[in-house]
Amino acid sequence: MTSKQTLSDWRASALQLEQQINRVVVGQQAAVRNLLIAVFARGHVLLEGQVGVGKTTLLRAVAHGLGGQYQRIEGTIDLMPADLIYYTYLNSDGRPCVDPGPLLKQGEQLSVFFFNEINRARPQVHSLLLRVMAERSIGAFNREYRMPHIQVFADRNRVEKEETFELPAAARDRFFMEITIDTPRDDAVLDDLMFNPRYHDVDALIGEMAASQIPYYQLNDWAAAIQQSIQPTAALRKYALDLWKASADPRAFGIKLNDVEMDQLLQAGASPRGIGYMIRAAKVRAWLENRDSLLPEDLQAVYAVTMSHRIFLNPMYSYRKDELIPALIDSILNHIAAP
Amino acid sequence: MQAPQQIRFSLASLIITMLLAACSGMSNQPLRDFQLQTPRPFGYVIGDTIRHRIVVETRSGMALERSSLPAQGRLNRWLQLNDVSVTEQDGSDGKQYQIDLLYQQFYAPLEVKELNIPGFMLRFRQHGQTLEQPVGAWAFTVAPLRELVVRQDQHGEYMRPDQAPTLLDDNEIVQRLFIALTVAMGIAVRLAWLYGYLPGLPKRSVFKRALRTLQNLDLHHLPQALGALHVAFNSLHGKPVFLHKLAEFYQSHPEYRSVADELAWFFDYSNRYFFGDASILPQENDLQKIKTLCLHCREIERGSR
Repeated sequence: MTSKQTLSDWRASALQLEQQINRVVVGQQAAVRNLLIAVFARGHVLLEGQVGVGKTTLLRAVAHGLGGQYQRIEGTIDLMPADLIYYTYLNSDGRPCVDPGPLLKQGEQLSVFFFNEINRARPQVHSLLLRVMAERSIGAFNREYRMPHIQVFADRNRVEKEETFELPAAARDRFFMEITIDTPRDDAVLDDLMFNPRYHDVDALIGEMAASQIPYYQLNDWAAAIQQSIQPTAALRKYALDLWKASADPRAFGIKLNDVEMDQLLQAGASPRGIGYMIRAAKVRAWLENRDSLLPEDLQAVYAVTMSHRIFLNPMYSYRKDELIPALIDSILNHIAAP
Repeated sequence: MQAPQQIRFSLASLIITMLLAACSGMSNQPLRDFQLQTPRPFGYVIGDTIRHRIVVETRSGMALERSSLPAQGRLNRWLQLNDVSVTEQDGSDGKQYQIDLLYQQFYAPLEVKELNIPGFMLRFRQHGQTLEQPVGAWAFTVAPLRELVVRQDQHGEYMRPDQAPTLLDDNEIVQRLFIALTVAMGIAVRLAWLYGYLPGLPKRSVFKRALRTLQNLDLHHLPQALGALHVAFNSLHGKPVFLHKLAEFYQSHPEYRSVADELAWFFDYSNRYFFGDASILPQENDLQKIKTLCLHCREIERGSR
C-alpha cells in the first residue's frame, strides 16, 4: 500500500498542475477540477461546449502538464477507421509508403488523444474508438499495438445537429465524464480574454507552463493507489446505492419534476459501470481535498458530470433533455439524505 | 314709603317665627324627623306591589324596637307584606332609620274601589322608657283589570299575554363580539404555532420531536441520535442539509446562525462518525452536546431564543 506521504506528494503535484492549467485557461475552475479528477481516475472524457471556449487549449494544457504525446483528429463525415491507424502516400522517390496514423504514431507514449467533433464521424469510427477506449490497444499491421497511457477526450459541438451521428448509448456510457464547458460569466475574466494579447498565441500560452511534474506513464499506478487508499463506510455505501437507484427510479424516492409523468420519464438509469465510475471519481475528489474518507459531498460534486450522460430519457421527453436532466440530477441530490 | 316698610316688617317677623319654631322643635320632640314616603294612591290592579318607606331620625340614646314593625306575611285577605328591611345609620346626634315595607295587594274589584293599608305603632326605647309613634293607614284605589264580562274578538281570546317587547338593537355588540372572538382565536393560533402545538404544521415542531427522540437515547444509540437531528434539519430545510451546504441553509433560515458553531461541529462530527475512518470514539460528552444543540434549535424554533 502506498504511504500517506507519497499520496500527499502526488496531491501537491496534482494541485500544482491544476493551478497551472487555471492560469492558461481562465474562468473554467470547475471544468479544470473535473478534468483533473478524470485524469487521476484514468477515465475518458466527453467535452461539450460552444465553439471557441478553449476546449482545445484546455486539452493541450493537460497534455503538456502530463508530458507524453498529444494527438488530435477532426471528426468528419468521410473519416474512416483506417484513417486513424495509417495513411498512405508517395514518397520523394515516387514509391508508395504506409505510415502509422495518429493513433499509432506515438506508440506507448501517446497520453492524450483528442477527437474533435466526434459526432461528425461515422459509427464505424466510433466503434474503433470505443475499442481503444475500453482496451487501450488496437490491432494493425498484423500485430497488436498497446497504448496503456492513452486518455481519450472527445468533443461534441452542440450548436449544429445536421449531418451528425449522435453517439449511441453504449458509446456514451464508456465515457467516464461529460464535462460542459461554458463561456466564463465573470466580467473581469471576459475583459481579460478580450484585451490581453497573452491569449492570442496558444503555443506561447502553453509554453508558459512549467515542465511536467506528473509522469504520465505512472498515472495508472497512481490511480490504483488512490483508489486503494480510500475505503467508503457502510453509511456512504448506502447513500451511493440510493443515488444509483434514484437515477433509475426517481419516483421511488418521491422525486417529481414539473410537467413530467415521472413513470414515463426514463428509459434507463445509470449502468453499473457508470456508478463505478462515479465512485472512482468521488474517491479522487476526496484525495484532492486531502481527505482519506469519502464524504457525501464528494459524491454530490461528481454526480452530475458522471451521471448526466448515462440517464436516458424516453423519446417523448428527449427534446427537453437540456432542461430535464439537470433538473432531475438536482432533485435527486436534493431528495436523498445522508445519513 | 309705607308699603316697603310693611314688607320689611312682615319678612322679619316671618324669619323670627321660623327660627323660634325650629328651636322649639329641636328641643322638645323626641324624634327629630319622621316621614312616611308613599307612592301614588291610585291606579293599582291585582298583584301590584306598593313600596312604603319610613324615614326616622331619633335623638341619641333612642333605639327602634323592631318587634313593633308588622311581621312579614299575610296581613289580611287581600294584602301581603312581602319584605321588611331596616337600615340603620349613625347620624351626628342620634340615629337615622330607613324602613322599607313592600306590600302586595290581591284585591280583584269589580269597579274602582278604595282600600286601606292598615297603620301601626312604631315603638322606640330610651333609657327604659318607650315612645310610640303612629304610622297612619294609607288609602289607595284599585281598579279592575278588565270588564266584568270577558269578550271574545274575531282573532280569538281577548285576554292574551302582552306583546313581546321589541329587542334592543344588538347588531353592533354582536359584531364586536365576533371581532373580539376572531382576534382571540388568531392570538390563540399564533401562540399554538409558536409553541409547536399545531399538528398540521410539522415544521414548527421538528425539533420538538427530535428532542423527544433524543431524550430516550444513550451513547449506544448515537447513530439514531445523530439521525434524529439530521431528519429534523432535513425536514426543516425541505432537503438534506450537509456540512458544505450550511451556507445555503443559513440563507433560508438565518435565525439558526446564532448556533452556527454548534451546527458546524455537529455536521463535522456526523461526517466523521458516519463516513470517517472509524477512529472516532463516541463519548458521553458528545451526546450531551448533540442534545444541547437540539435544545437550542428547539428554542429558536419556538422563537424564545
